Amino acid sequence: MKNKKLRGIETLKSKYGLMFVSIWIVGFVLFFFIPLCQSVGYAFSEISIGEKGVQTFFVGFQNFQKLLVEDPDYTKNLGSSIGQMVYSLPMILVVSLVLAIILNQKFFGRLFFRALYFLPVIIATGVVMQLISGKVSADDQMASTVTQNMFTVEDIMGVFNLPAGIATTMQEIISSIFSLVWKCGIQIVLFIAGLQSIPSSLYEVSKVEGATKWEDFWFITFPMLSRVTLLVGIFTIIELFTDSTSPIIETAFAKMSVGIYDISSAMLWFYFLIAAAILGLVVFLYTYILMRRWD
Amino acid sequence: MKFNKESILQSIGDCKKSTPVKISSTVLKSVFRWFILLSIGYIVLYPLFYMITTSISTKEAFLDPTSVWIPNSVTLENFTFMYKVMDYGAALLATLRIEMVSALLEVFTCAIVAYGFARFKFPLRKILTALLFVTILIPTPMIVMPLMTNFSKLDFLGILGLFNKISGIDLRPDLLGTPWTFYLPSLFASGLKSGLLIYIYIQFFKGLPYELEEASWIDGAGPIRTFFAIAVPSSGVVILTVIVFSIIWHWNDYFMASMFMDEGYPLAVTMSKLHDLLNYNGIYLSPEKPNGLAYVLTGCLMFIIPPLIFYLIVQHWFVESIDRVGITG
Repeated sequence: MKNKKLRGIETLKSKYGLMFVSIWIVGFVLFFFIPLCQSVGYAFSEISIGEKGVQTFFVGFQNFQKLLVEDPDYTKNLGSSIGQMVYSLPMILVVSLVLAIILNQKFFGRLFFRALYFLPVIIATGVVMQLISGKVSADDQMASTVTQNMFTVEDIMGVFNLPAGIATTMQEIISSIFSLVWKCGIQIVLFIAGLQSIPSSLYEVSKVEGATKWEDFWFITFPMLSRVTLLVGIFTIIELFTDSTSPIIETAFAKMSVGIYDISSAMLWFYFLIAAAILGLVVFLYTYILMRRWD
Repeated sequence: MKFNKESILQSIGDCKKSTPVKISSTVLKSVFRWFILLSIGYIVLYPLFYMITTSISTKEAFLDPTSVWIPNSVTLENFTFMYKVMDYGAALLATLRIEMVSALLEVFTCAIVAYGFARFKFPLRKILTALLFVTILIPTPMIVMPLMTNFSKLDFLGILGLFNKISGIDLRPDLLGTPWTFYLPSLFASGLKSGLLIYIYIQFFKGLPYELEEASWIDGAGPIRTFFAIAVPSSGVVILTVIVFSIIWHWNDYFMASMFMDEGYPLAVTMSKLHDLLNYNGIYLSPEKPNGLAYVLTGCLMFIIPPLIFYLIVQHWFVESIDRVGITG
């Protein structure tokens, strides 16, 4: 009797659950799943927009063939995007982890700095970042972008009395730090949340055992953060790939706005498949090589 | 010799006092920490300061190498000019009407959906959660073209299309160019980055204690009442986080808006067309005329001032709450 009633409540609850989620299911099908399937269809067909609306003809892999064999820019842009990502990903992870660890310590002015370091998320997402780094239209030769103005070569040479070669490299390093730090906002927040979830008793034990801070980091912080690191890594890869300043997305958008849907669909799909492959590879390597070492 | 708590604490205290090396190392550490944080903070804040000084200085002061941070002569001329060029008032209103309404709708519907995911067991839950992750992973540019064609003849899962075939009356509305292209996805929790917002909510709702809800069930409240009376009041922290994210993302979204709207663009779209707008008003950016840059930066500043004020108001709660939301799971 009791069991039966409980089951009754369980089925009732499962109905309620579906009721809550059904809102999203409708949205998912209407505004995600159907368009996604159509977009796959576009990539494999030729599209003409006439009086009868959009008409599609299936052409197989022709679009992809065009892109990879005939379009010289596409493969070049693909290579540069992947290179950029392979270089930025570890840098962003390291910089945001270091900053998160510093910001997680207790010191005077902590909240101020936390608020400060989240600021880029507000300013840097989207158009403003492109405008101040002079990327919105390539044909306008901007006199000087903001990052270049920050430290000019002459400044560095004057202040530190350095030869020109070193000063130029320093300026490059500074402006790359700039673009890195500006991409780290959400990552820092995620890492801080992860650091907060590590029980402090672990650090107390290691203190009693006489471990150094360095050992603390490698044997407590880093292993305990492994899941968060994976999450931040995945998030960063997605952000880097969907960044609208990436040349492939830019050209695809440009084509879309003139009404060429087929090739631009194929462009984005191939790009996305590569991104998914890299994502899968990173997740695989991370879980199977690093996690196994700690087991 | 007896060891009790006080004597041990006493001896630890003595150790701390008697080692001056330790004190100097902590001082050194905090100086080092402040040095790193301030220098990177300078990099973070630099563009903002640069925008502010540039936008308030006159043309002469902007070109004058002796005035760097504090301009020699101050003017608001840049602002009035850019206000006209960007059609700021109308664009701001459009942003509020289109993007902000859809942001708040999204905050609300995502909470409902996440509550269902986090607190109830139902068939296919695992598969649906996996699909939720797919929506996070796939960027919107992939689906924007089909979305546009669908919005131009909105067909609710083929129902209206079927009606059209049978009766010959075309009821499929053309939503392109209306704010409904933003409201509708938000109403069904599939708007801008909804997947991520639902995920944040789910992580938080999972951590809520079950006792309160059970009590409300026993007292005879239904699921909707329980959601509004128990779950919503105890999740102010996560709601604030989601509101901040949603508003910021919507504020900065120019891609969807430029695709779906024909006119009455929100502010972000205006920003993405700033160079064209300036050219149209006879201002060209060239190395010979660097004061064009001042106009661009003034525009940027005017664009970020509203979200900046919003962030400054909520940051106190937001920065503290981020620890407790448990986004990382």
